[in-house]
Amino acid sequence: MLSTIAIESLKRRKTTALLTLLSITISISLLLCVDIVRSQVKTSFTRTVSGVDLIVGAPSGQLNLLLSSVFNIGTPTKGIDYKSVASLKSNKQVSWLIPLSLGDTHRGFRVIGTTNRFFEHFKYGDKQALALTEGRVFEQPLSTVVGADVADSLGYTVGDKIIVSHGLGSVSFNNHDDHPFIISGILEKTGTPVDKAVYVTLQGLEKAHSGPKSAHTSRLRKKTAFLNGHSTNEHEHEHEHEHEHEEPTQDNYDSDAFTPESVSVVMLGLKNRAAALQLQYQINQSKKEPLMAILPGMALAELWQIMGNVEALLLGLSGLIVICALIGLATMLLATMRERYQEIAVLRTIGAGPFTLLLLIQLEAMLLTIVSAALSIALVAVLMSMFKPWLSSTYGLFLSSPLFSQSSVIIVLLILGCTYLVSLFPAIAAYKRGLHAGLNSN
Amino acid sequence: MNIINNKSALTQCKSAIEVSHVNFAYSKESTPILNIEKWQVSRGEHVFLSGPSGSGKSTLLNLLCGTLTPTAGSIALLGQPFSSLSNRQRDKFRARNIGVVFQQFNLIPYLSVAQNISAAAYFSGKGNSSQKVLANTCELLDRLQLPSHVLHAKADALSIGQQQRVAIARALINSPQLLIVDEPTSALDADARDSFMALLKEVASDSTMIFVSHDNAMERYFDRHCRISELSLPSTTQPPHAVKHTSKPKQESL
Repeated sequence: MLSTIAIESLKRRKTTALLTLLSITISISLLLCVDIVRSQVKTSFTRTVSGVDLIVGAPSGQLNLLLSSVFNIGTPTKGIDYKSVASLKSNKQVSWLIPLSLGDTHRGFRVIGTTNRFFEHFKYGDKQALALTEGRVFEQPLSTVVGADVADSLGYTVGDKIIVSHGLGSVSFNNHDDHPFIISGILEKTGTPVDKAVYVTLQGLEKAHSGPKSAHTSRLRKKTAFLNGHSTNEHEHEHEHEHEHEEPTQDNYDSDAFTPESVSVVMLGLKNRAAALQLQYQINQSKKEPLMAILPGMALAELWQIMGNVEALLLGLSGLIVICALIGLATMLLATMRERYQEIAVLRTIGAGPFTLLLLIQLEAMLLTIVSAALSIALVAVLMSMFKPWLSSTYGLFLSSPLFSQSSVIIVLLILGCTYLVSLFPAIAAYKRGLHAGLNSN
Repeated sequence: MNIINNKSALTQCKSAIEVSHVNFAYSKESTPILNIEKWQVSRGEHVFLSGPSGSGKSTLLNLLCGTLTPTAGSIALLGQPFSSLSNRQRDKFRARNIGVVFQQFNLIPYLSVAQNISAAAYFSGKGNSSQKVLANTCELLDRLQLPSHVLHAKADALSIGQQQRVAIARALINSPQLLIVDEPTSALDADARDSFMALLKEVASDSTMIFVSHDNAMERYFDRHCRISELSLPSTTQPPHAVKHTSKPKQESL
């Protein structure tokens, strides 16, 4: 009966109730969005790379190196000489090494030059290895393996040919048309930036850059750019690989056999992870070529620490918005009390005690908040599924299931708790209202 | 102490209302509005209470309903010390034993007729099943000559006459032993008033009824006529026999 009265009472004041519902729904949605993005970013970040002990690149800052090498975000760092890479390869602590050459794109997706070692050693999530849904890894210099989202969105299958473009823009006027790559394999979905990347052989990439011209022309192009005042970063590209190696045949192709002049980044796996700090120190102190080695875990933690402050600020602001909306709810209930005094007095006369009336007002507030919370959850789920592709392509944020975490449940429960508290004000006003005054107010 | 559930005490007492040395003022500084030395209403008696506007009729009804408490003195209803019960006990006692028909009917406008009536049954705590309450509601509406389709109509969609009958149905749904009716005929013409009174007398025949009006012509429907001016005397004077009998008091049927 109490819930019937509460529902009918809200329906009676549907305009104010709907406006209040709207403001609470928007504020809860905002808070849930912030919480979901926060938790998904954290999950997405922590599952992006695992099993890589060190990432080595040119000195440019820990975060820049991490973002460009792992998240495919931002400008790639300056290249490192392959002699340094060879030196790292021969280090007795190093178990395996993955060279990465960055700076090209294919229809908006990042192109990464690497070797078959990448598919063998790169891990994500809880040390999960990459797997192919279709085809094989690199089989010849112009092989390419594409991520799941690339294949999905562009409708690629094994055997299709793709053209790599120079630079990082989604539209490029400098396409390497002379050397189309043939898709040899498609990777399984990982929920990481791997899904949105196109992996090509270092050799094929070098060949594409050389084009019909000689390696000398390629080097000359870079020198001309430098003389014209463009840095290599402005070109967003650092591929100056020598093109003087013998072309292997398809049968004996070994992507590791090719040695480019330089690469952008190197990922290292160590025989003993405990040696990571020591090796990092050694690399950072290298006198042959200035290098920077980062521990992915520490770099992620640093990145998260920076984001953590923003996250706390956003969460705090959203929380304040929710509190404002709930105060609005209490104000709405208090404002309607004047017109409800007679109704409250009648309920008292027919036997509803003061505590029952307190419960009635609180029930109305709770009903509004519960409906708002349910609407917010539905709205956020729809919005997140609508903007999922945009979030992943623009911000590298991969939404994974379940969308709502334990913290979302805690937030909703806290909001219900706050509703209980703020609704006490109008509820107490109803509780204390004199029976006689209400009956004679008409 | 479970006063309100003590059925034997409620049924054994011959008096429905006993007012003793009751004095009431809205504040300590103001002049007392009511000063009743002694007033008694027998069970089953239908009493007509009249008086000019501002004479204290509604105040006396509010005291009998428990929406006001006396400044001094005591009120016993159905053998229970009503004025000295706690607020909660008084609320429960009223819900179970007193039916009130307000001057403005005071139906809850956003509830349907059925919901208005069943709310009274629900809050009385008598624990009747919803089916039984619905059956009783239908029977009451039938006796009050209301068509069955009004059952699901919102209270504010009803005519004044229909609202008046629904208010009576709500007052009677818990079969109260005491019915208090506050000027429900003030908006009615003579024919409608006669018809209403006949209906009220018929449906409330088992209850003790206090009916308030400033229209003395109504006294013919009742066992006794009490004028508030004679009932309540200035506090400095001793009250005489304040009750004027217009007819022989109805015998209690205990």
